[in-house]
Amino acid sequence: MKTALQLIVLSVVLVLIQLLICNNIVLFNVAIPIVFIYVIIWAPLWLNQSLLLTIAFLLGLIVDIGSDTPGMNALACTLLAMLKRPVFYAYMEHDDHSDEITPSLSSMGVWDYCKYLLTMVAIYCILIFSIEYFSFADVKEIAIMAGYSTAMTFLLLIGIDSLMKGKREKRL
Amino acid sequence: MGSLLNFLIRYSSWFVFLIYVLLSCMLLFRSNDYQRSVYLTSANSLTAGTYEAVADVKGYFALKSINEGLEESNAALLNEVLNLKDELATLRAEVGDSTYAPRFDYVAAKVINNSTRRPNNYITIQRGSDDGVERGMGVVGNEGIVGIVNAVGSRTARVSSVLNEGQHYSVKLKDTPFVGSLIWKSGDPTVAYMTEVARHAKWHKGDSVVTSGYSTTFPEGIPVGVVVARVKGADDNFFTLRVKLASDFDRLSTVRVIRDELKSELDSLETFDFQENKVIR
Repeated sequence: MKTALQLIVLSVVLVLIQLLICNNIVLFNVAIPIVFIYVIIWAPLWLNQSLLLTIAFLLGLIVDIGSDTPGMNALACTLLAMLKRPVFYAYMEHDDHSDEITPSLSSMGVWDYCKYLLTMVAIYCILIFSIEYFSFADVKEIAIMAGYSTAMTFLLLIGIDSLMKGKREKRL
Repeated sequence: MGSLLNFLIRYSSWFVFLIYVLLSCMLLFRSNDYQRSVYLTSANSLTAGTYEAVADVKGYFALKSINEGLEESNAALLNEVLNLKDELATLRAEVGDSTYAPRFDYVAAKVINNSTRRPNNYITIQRGSDDGVERGMGVVGNEGIVGIVNAVGSRTARVSSVLNEGQHYSVKLKDTPFVGSLIWKSGDPTVAYMTEVARHAKWHKGDSVVTSGYSTTFPEGIPVGVVVARVKGADDNFFTLRVKLASDFDRLSTVRVIRDELKSELDSLETFDFQENKVIR
């Protein structure tokens, strides 16, 4: 129940930040911060896969409606949600407790979490810019946009994760 | 039913995933003009490419029937050309013949057996009496004369080819009145001899040799070959020319059988005994 509430609050806050702030930032004309995917990255692993897919799809859909890009973020989010488990287990051992984890700096360790976060962000950026450009002729632009946006988003999400950690610690 | 439910539950996340992907794609391609246009054009080029590849392969298999069709139409066209020539000649002679009918007709036939290395060579064709082929009809290929039908079955016929030591053909030097007899001597399937050429006949290397039209077997002017050299003849009044044959007998695939509509009439006329007033049998 607590996680559900957290998830909803996090979703609302991040979607609002995305739509009101991040969508208006295009750093150096190439880097766009994408913060709302943190919900998918953060979502606990014990969460039902279908539920995660639904949350991801709805998140993407809301962002799409807000930024007038119907289907783009919804598709990318759905694909990212499907890839979450494989990416997570690429860096973490599959044991009895691994399914109880909520991916974060504190639960996974800095190095593993950074690898996991970077992979997820990179996947999303490549997906979203590929869908947006939708042409193999623009591979160079896609690579540049995805590269810079991944770097920027990664740094922002590390920051958000630290804030979450801080909140958790304060509550404790 | 239970196992179906189990299957659905087990792979539910995949179904959910597919549904969301489809929904997103629908949204993407319906609402975004750019993505829709790219999707449509790439889909079109993909379809076109596939169709092209399939058509290429199919076309390859259809080549045989296309070839046969072309041969048939070629025969029909040649028939028409010769008939028109015939008609033109008739009109030029200002003979107002209301009973005029084309004299020669062609039947395209596929070569199913062929020999060139024996003293007497024969060709088997896939046309017989059912198709109107009769003994004694002339056979021509795309390049020139091929032979004469000498045995007929209902579906096939055997053609005694030019490469046959016992066969003579009435030929002449093109655009001249000098006639001769074409024979072949065992050996080279590309060379024959035009014998009995009058001594005063003028000839040049490279002159065309064509059929004379003096028989009902071949119409006049069908190519036979070209003169390559003179050979010393046995008789002082005549000489012999070596002729390079126009037809390549090693590569015969389709031939045309010539049907002369006047053959029976001419044959009976030529064997008519005017004194006895009856046909000699």
